[in-house]
Amino acid sequence: MKFLLSLLLLPLLINGCSSVKKDKNLADSINLDVEELKLENGMTALIVNNPKLPIFSLYFFYKVGGKNEVPGITGASHFLEHMMFKGAKKFGKNTLDFIIEGSGGSTNAYTTNDQTVYYENLPSKELSMILDIEADRMENLALDPDDFNKERAVVLEERKMRYENSPRGQLYQELMQNFFAGTPYGRSVIGEIPDLKSVTREQIHAYFKKFYAPNNVTLVLVGDVKTVEAKKLIKEKFEKIPSSPTVAQEHASLTEEQFKVTFKESKVVKKKGESPNPIFMMAYPTYKVGHPKGYAIDILSSILGSGKSSSLINEYILINRPVATSMYAAHQQLEKAGLFFIGGELVRGVKIDDFRKDLQKKLLSYCETEITPRNIQKIKNNYLVDLYGGLDTNAGLAQFLGDRQLLFGDWRMYKKELELYEKVSVEEVKSMCLETFGKESVFVSVWNQHK
Amino acid sequence: MKYLLTALLFVNTAIANDSFLDSVNRMKWKDMDVVWIEDDKFPKFTASIYFQDGALNDAAPGVTQATFDQLTSGTSKENQRELAEFFDFYGASLRTSVTHEYSVFSVQALTKDIGPVMGKVCEIFKDAQYPQNELKSHISRAKSGLKNLVTSHAALADRVYRSVSLEGTAYAAPVEGTLKSLDMITPALLKTRLEGLNKTRKVLYLAGPSDVKDIRNVIEKNCNWSNETKMVPVEMKKPAQQSALYLVEVPNANQAQIRIGRYMTSREFEGKHDQFQFMASFLGGGFTSKLVQELRVKRGLTYSAGAYVSMQRDYGRAGIMTFSKNETTSEAIAIIRNVFSDVSAGRFEDKEFVHQKNHQIGGYAFSFEETNALLGQIMLYDHQNRDLAELVNFPKTIEKLSKAELASSNLEVFPWDRQTIVVVGDKSLVKSLSRIRPVRILKYEDYL
Repeated sequence: MKFLLSLLLLPLLINGCSSVKKDKNLADSINLDVEELKLENGMTALIVNNPKLPIFSLYFFYKVGGKNEVPGITGASHFLEHMMFKGAKKFGKNTLDFIIEGSGGSTNAYTTNDQTVYYENLPSKELSMILDIEADRMENLALDPDDFNKERAVVLEERKMRYENSPRGQLYQELMQNFFAGTPYGRSVIGEIPDLKSVTREQIHAYFKKFYAPNNVTLVLVGDVKTVEAKKLIKEKFEKIPSSPTVAQEHASLTEEQFKVTFKESKVVKKKGESPNPIFMMAYPTYKVGHPKGYAIDILSSILGSGKSSSLINEYILINRPVATSMYAAHQQLEKAGLFFIGGELVRGVKIDDFRKDLQKKLLSYCETEITPRNIQKIKNNYLVDLYGGLDTNAGLAQFLGDRQLLFGDWRMYKKELELYEKVSVEEVKSMCLETFGKESVFVSVWNQHK
Repeated sequence: MKYLLTALLFVNTAIANDSFLDSVNRMKWKDMDVVWIEDDKFPKFTASIYFQDGALNDAAPGVTQATFDQLTSGTSKENQRELAEFFDFYGASLRTSVTHEYSVFSVQALTKDIGPVMGKVCEIFKDAQYPQNELKSHISRAKSGLKNLVTSHAALADRVYRSVSLEGTAYAAPVEGTLKSLDMITPALLKTRLEGLNKTRKVLYLAGPSDVKDIRNVIEKNCNWSNETKMVPVEMKKPAQQSALYLVEVPNANQAQIRIGRYMTSREFEGKHDQFQFMASFLGGGFTSKLVQELRVKRGLTYSAGAYVSMQRDYGRAGIMTFSKNETTSEAIAIIRNVFSDVSAGRFEDKEFVHQKNHQIGGYAFSFEETNALLGQIMLYDHQNRDLAELVNFPKTIEKLSKAELASSNLEVFPWDRQTIVVVGDKSLVKSLSRIRPVRILKYEDYL
């Protein structure tokens, strides 16, 4: 019956749905129809109706991550990411996964420096149930002592997998610790081993009460849901949950000054690790997310390191005697600071110091040779294809909206972003290229021949 | 307006009844089979060309993979840089997937660019020259990457597991080649292989708005493709060694990767694809699966555990993938063995069984969310000569499964005495592993 009903409602659904226009530039490429709801306790909810299939994706973007932790409780956000699946008051010990998967759904979460995101993909009829579960764990997380200790062991195993037994994980961690030394971004998101072994349930509980509240979260719901009903349910389940009285103060206490990189001279770090080929990452300071200069730097990173025709691939890989087996460039913009990465894996026999000096010289020369109108247009074309690809699923759209709401405070920022990308000129990218590569950098390599 | 209407109709038919089959448009362009699924959500397209030919026909391991990987290394008119620039400018992504039995070359780009992009695809298939310098550079990089495989213990475990569990069969060699076989690859070998691929049976799988069909002219006129040769099925031989336990030593590891499983034949799969899929999911598909509950939730021994049963057309494999710290590696293996034993004997609760059914049936709609994934699924069904009605009937098939069928599936696929076990970890593990079975120590370098 439900399917038949969907067909009858078709004209209404079309008017209410997001649409895509053809053959437009970046800024005109998508128009999203999003319903916004603001609860009295400060919680924000975004809803997009997509009746394509009787399913939905539900995302909770908590504004808490590695940067909110302090020494002694590093890894708290990630530890909580695990504990949030262990049950609360109404939905008790280890029932959450069974309820979600038993409905045909899936669930997971991830933690970054700035945010922790919990998500579910479920059949449409389960909306009320999952909102109930999410509200229950936001208000009454159990943190059962027995589960707490078992999960501590699981987190330590995850850490081994991602970092201790992974040279690439070690490389990234080492880079972040050196680049952001002395700032909250220099701490390990998964946590330092002594902290993970010693952190108590009480410490984690206090951290939870501070940050996991309705005024510190954005809910994004995309899929086959009736907007009016969904809004009603969200209000019913979440509006009664008290907001955190201290979270605004916590965020305000993290000033941009605390995140400024402190190195005055370029740093070179050589770490011994189990990689027979040297692997490296080099980073330069840039700007925090949303900074107007960031868009030109994004395009610069794509010109240098995205695709087979990019500068670094052509310089070091697609040559008769390759210097590297892989190279990439990326611009990572965090809430409080940014960094421009270049990384890759070198061929055995290449002298790392010689390579580093050559790379640094080449980067500056690229500012003159590689920033062309054609290259910029090429990157804009690629962004359009990537944009469509990213919005292909309910989950992709939810992620897209949630990121913008959390980082900019307004999901509509995507329009502005696309306009800014569209306007980026050759001169701006050149200027950012010279500015970025004129700065001091941090170069980290991991190799089994390092002492 | 039209775009959404189509999508909605498709979904309703797809899930409600077998008229889903009508939404899979099958056509014939000259002698090429074409499958098109209309997807108007965005103005982009996917064209996946299926070649009924894969790594089994390699003159040396890695040849088919290199033939596809190096397609853009140069034609008689354009060099590697010019070709890369062309495809990158259009934002076109080219992907290759080579399996032992078949290969797939996929293109994704904006629909408005379909003409020039597919035209260039035809050109490279018709005129790839495989210049010596570019090939030499490619092989040098591929070898360097292989030598560094020890940086990923999981990838290394997968590679060794294939090799030892399929030893003595045509499927043991890795499709990407070995340090030794890569040295045997020449431009002449790749050109010959490409000629063969151009003549082999192909099917074009398309997803996108209706105007994607406009590429028919481009493909018929510009691609040098025919369907002259058909791949001969390869009888799956019994691998040389089963029920062995291998320890692959890697330096300074404080965690061990574990792989347990065995090869399977097409005969074993007959009429049981969905049943085996259900069993694999019951064991290791999600947080509530048996292995994750036993290993992670109850004991904290691992971060993740998974199970799979996968089939191409003439061969398949079943396996368990997990890891644990050195001190608990043997315990983790013992627990996996106990789970096999319990499930095979029907020692699981009704509620666990019903839960898994609800999980599979409830999640069925998600198979249709991503058009490209659906296209891939249709391709696999076609390759296996399976009727797409099986996909439509999946919920009904699962609904009908009994506890006894789950138990018997587990017994058939995972009898303990036929499982190959591969552990990648520190050499100190040998003592504890010896209590399970005699341990054969392997050097990882021998499997690169």
